Amino acid sequence: MGSPQTLRVAAAAEAGSLAVLLLNLVTVHWEPVSSVTGPVHGCAYLFVVVLAFRSDRRAATRIASLVPGIGGLLVLRTVEPRSRRPAEPASSPTPPSEPSGSRRPRGSRWCVPRVPPA
Amino acid sequence: MTKFLLAVHVLAAIIAIGPVTVAASMFPAVARRAASGSPRELTVLRTLHRICRVYATVGIVVPVFGLATASSLGVLGDAWLIASMALTACAAAVLVLLVLPRQETLLGGLAKQPAEHDTRMPARLAMYTGMFNVLWAVVTVLMIVRPGSTTGV
Repeated sequence: MGSPQTLRVAAAAEAGSLAVLLLNLVTVHWEPVSSVTGPVHGCAYLFVVVLAFRSDRRAATRIASLVPGIGGLLVLRTVEPRSRRPAEPASSPTPPSEPSGSRRPRGSRWCVPRVPPA
Repeated sequence: MTKFLLAVHVLAAIIAIGPVTVAASMFPAVARRAASGSPRELTVLRTLHRICRVYATVGIVVPVFGLATASSLGVLGDAWLIASMALTACAAAVLVLLVLPRQETLLGGLAKQPAEHDTRMPARLAMYTGMFNVLWAVVTVLMIVRPGSTTGV
């Protein structure tokens, strides 16, 4: 609990369940779908809020988590802006021209450099 | 659909609140033993605190699906349910504001200086944990007895 993976799952559930609710509303309006997806969306929203408040002390992250529907996705943007990029393949050799990394530990998933080495 | 919502609500209550009740009750006793400096007891203490923290978060499912069930049954205005919701809010407040922060403080103190921690702190923590357990027990009994209820679910 509290890991970025948990936050990602909660954020996906929050946005996904809202999409299902809205889609159901404008199409078939099937009552059982609303009554099941509604509480699921409520749980996902509260999970996102709790995880965001626990993992980050910044006001921007905490306020973003309170936004209905897309709060989780907004939190992911502020918490891990670089991890959305594909990670370096583990087998690729590190070019010798790359600086030895004063800012990041080598192999850290969270600190992929913005500019890929030439 | 009411039966499904009620099943999720009851399952979540058993799976999420049960571990919190047990782990939080064991915490003060293990904390006393960990004060003797045993690294094994400190590891157990960390695990107990983690169980409390994680399952307290999972416990969010219980009131959310409980509200959905009550709304589906049309009993949101019943006195027994309003009393249960108020007591649940009190129990959640005790857990989040009193029990979990004190567990964290105790754990931090024992990890640094096991010999110099305040011996009264586990006792106070045990009292707050007892309050939490009593509140949950009262809510559970209210959910079963439902004084004044006419629904058969």
